[in-house]
Amino acid sequence: MKLRNRSSGPTKVEIPMAPMIDIVFQLLIFFMLNLKIVSPEGNFNINMPIGAPSAAAADQNLPDIKVGLHSDRDGRLTQITLGSKNLGNDNAAFERLNKEILTIIGRPGNPLTKEVEVEIDADYETQYKYVVKTISKCTGRFDPATKQITRYVEKIKFAPPHKPKA
Amino acid sequence: MKMRKIEMGFTEPDMTPMIDIVFQLLTFFMIAINFENTKADERVKLPKDTLAKPPTVKPEHELVLNMGYQRDTSGARMKSVPEIFYNERYVEVRQFTPDLEQEKRVMERIHGKEIIKDVTVLIRADSEVPTGLVQELIKKCQETGFSKFSLRATSEEL
Repeated sequence: MKLRNRSSGPTKVEIPMAPMIDIVFQLLIFFMLNLKIVSPEGNFNINMPIGAPSAAAADQNLPDIKVGLHSDRDGRLTQITLGSKNLGNDNAAFERLNKEILTIIGRPGNPLTKEVEVEIDADYETQYKYVVKTISKCTGRFDPATKQITRYVEKIKFAPPHKPKA
Repeated sequence: MKMRKIEMGFTEPDMTPMIDIVFQLLTFFMIAINFENTKADERVKLPKDTLAKPPTVKPEHELVLNMGYQRDTSGARMKSVPEIFYNERYVEVRQFTPDLEQEKRVMERIHGKEIIKDVTVLIRADSEVPTGLVQELIKKCQETGFSKFSLRATSEEL
């Protein structure tokens, strides 16, 4: 009787901890070694169907927006143009481009932003970062205060590539 | 009995706090780990941009192409021409067509003939690569049959 009492009563049962700790450490080491800290990456979609120039774009009320990027032989930006307008070549030029795009589309979310296309015509040597920045300035605006993104033009395409400067 | 145990000097350490912490760490690493970025090549220094936000819908089929310069440990370029880092090889853009063709054949064999139209080509190019070369790469992809393109950039926090 005494024996039965002892086993059915609220006694402490020892769980074997050692195997569990072994496995948990294995897992921990696995995940630690596999951890790679990378900053998140985002995409810019570009609209490049085969059979390059889209005939449909011609008879829309808004003409294509042509952004030109000119550079020297080392790929440094020398001039940004919008249509025939010169915008300069510094950081302020990108802001001006951003404003001009907004003026063209009227207001963000305008249905026309789905139709109108920005064509980027860059010199062969232009460093890729300027192109990405241009695409970014054409596709929208990031408001640091509200952390909201306002979308401008959605379709981006490239003009046919130029030959490298001899 | 109790007396004898103490005499042997065997005391069990308290495992509970350690296990708590180990589980915390384990959970942290499990959540922080990201297997998706395994295709991202660290040798490519992507351009940064505030508008580059990770896409909400991930394309079903994608082909990631990394383009950049071979650099030594100090970051200096070892070659003046950028190359595509493709399966542990360095391929120049103008010689890349055979690899693209092969990529296409493999995809067609796995997913069927029409797959090529649904594949998004993700271009991860170094921020200093000449734009003309990126365009050349896009053109080569178009000639092979790819039609959707995305340019990658690191999202920059402000």
